[in-house]
Amino acid sequence: MISLRLVNSRVGHFRLTDITFDVADGGYGVVIGPAGAGKTTLLETIAGVTRATSGQIILRGEDMTTVAPERRRLGIVYQHAYLFPHLTVRENVEYGAASAADAEDAADRFGVEGLFDRAVESLSGGERQLVAIARAIAAKPEVLLLDEPFSALDPRTRGETRRQLRATYFERGFTVLQVTHDFAEAGVLGDVAIVLDRGRVVQKGDPADVFHRPVSPYLAVFLGVENVFAGTARPIRAEAPDWRDAAGDQFAELPVAFTTGALTFYALGDVVPGPAHAVIRAEEVSLSVEPSMSSMQNQFRGRIVEIVPAGALSKVTVEASGTSIVAAVTARSVRELSLDVGREIVAGFKATAVHLC
Amino acid sequence: MASVIVAIVASLFLLFIVGPVAGLVGSGGGRGLASLVSDSELRQSLSLTALTATTATFLGILGGTPIAYVLARRTFRGKALLAAIMDLPLVIPHPVAGIALLLVLGRGTTLGSALYAAGLRVAGSPTGIICAMLFVSAPLYVSAARESFARVDARFEAVARTLGDDAWRAFRRVTLPLSARGLTAAAIVMWARAVSEFGAIVILTYNPKVASVLSYDRFTAFGLQEALPVAAVLVLLALVPLAALRALRKE
Repeated sequence: MISLRLVNSRVGHFRLTDITFDVADGGYGVVIGPAGAGKTTLLETIAGVTRATSGQIILRGEDMTTVAPERRRLGIVYQHAYLFPHLTVRENVEYGAASAADAEDAADRFGVEGLFDRAVESLSGGERQLVAIARAIAAKPEVLLLDEPFSALDPRTRGETRRQLRATYFERGFTVLQVTHDFAEAGVLGDVAIVLDRGRVVQKGDPADVFHRPVSPYLAVFLGVENVFAGTARPIRAEAPDWRDAAGDQFAELPVAFTTGALTFYALGDVVPGPAHAVIRAEEVSLSVEPSMSSMQNQFRGRIVEIVPAGALSKVTVEASGTSIVAAVTARSVRELSLDVGREIVAGFKATAVHLC
Repeated sequence: MASVIVAIVASLFLLFIVGPVAGLVGSGGGRGLASLVSDSELRQSLSLTALTATTATFLGILGGTPIAYVLARRTFRGKALLAAIMDLPLVIPHPVAGIALLLVLGRGTTLGSALYAAGLRVAGSPTGIICAMLFVSAPLYVSAARESFARVDARFEAVARTLGDDAWRAFRRVTLPLSARGLTAAAIVMWARAVSEFGAIVILTYNPKVASVLSYDRFTAFGLQEALPVAAVLVLLALVPLAALRALRKE
């Protein structure tokens, strides 16, 4: 388990302030946040190479706040590998390993045993990263701290390494805290997501919840939400339509009318009337030729102004009454609906897809 | 046109440096090498110089390395002051440094007499030479060693620590090998500076004479011709650390 209680630390002028979160024993925590948020400092503070000025760091139930790094039984893998350049690959992997067999096992898992006699300088960036992961695993840590460990890897190796790390994680049962910029990765890997900004935890919880319900528009933009609207929210208790969910029950949250520019759409939430932001992920926006008769509470006719293919999905921007709404649709939908720039289309999203913050 | 002027100025400057040295070696080099065989005082003086400079360098490494490391790695109140103190001997005129050392270590002083009572004579002994050399040349070692440490990313140590090394072991297994070349260069620079020191040594210990004091002594007592071989040998001796530094950088 990794438990931080009001941890503060300082590196130069940068401060981590009152960091509090828990990652359960054998859990997988993911730290996300913009550049300069303090993600690496957080890992280094947990590792003990940066001193916590106050607060408590508890690892596996033991208070480790003032314990030397070498006695915390943890490993750290940096984004830039930090392989010891004066040692061979084998010597690097064996560095913290209790036995040569442990080193060989770790090297085997991450496919670096073939590099054993090579000099570190001769390795590619991806190879270095794999060796760094193997080096940390070979020391059999109980807590593994990963600072964007897959960023130097090509997509294929990244997938394999992630799977291998995952398998090792399940087999050994260590606890992981990983810094990532890749939101998909955070969703795939994490049990808990911790969002850091300017040295503070601004949100934490289930990764899916963090991604769909960011606490601020700034965070929403950082998390890659395409539709972030500034506007005015107005609870509409009395005049609300009688919405029901799939099971036919009334929604627990209150209906809200949100106005941005010339558009007004419905949302659900407990908000005070006044300025607010509405956040809608592009995957939640669907496109149709005619208004759908389903439970889609918000539907706007507009014109397609841009289609950007992005992997398996295409991002289609529809301008409706002067407001741009981005929808992520499959290539098949683009074909079937004959989507093209200039074409008139209906963009729709449910009130439940709108997150107000 | 501008580049021609720059080239002329640069050439003149180069000539200004090379000219006297080449002249000295040209006119006294042969006799200097010959006197290495015939002149026992010169031989003794050279071995004394090498021995005291090496001892001073060793002491400089011993005392200066931890300071250089702390200056490179840690931030603390008074760090700028510590760095300034370490640089102080570089800006003090060297005879003044000698006088300052004499004030603390001379026989008339508390520390000096205590050391004398303990059987360690400072002024007028090889110990005095070592003290003078250490005082004036150790700052060069500390500042170069500090830079060498700073060039080694602290995260290498962080990784070593998480892999089970305590601070000393991480220093020994990672930081030291990674900064070894820079530290060696720093030690060579310190040694060379110690060998060439005159001002502080001459105040603290005139006799026994190190090579620089000997060349000065021969010049004042017997004139230029007598001083030439000693001076030329000193120049040739200075080429040794210079070559070592070049080799180290090329490696």
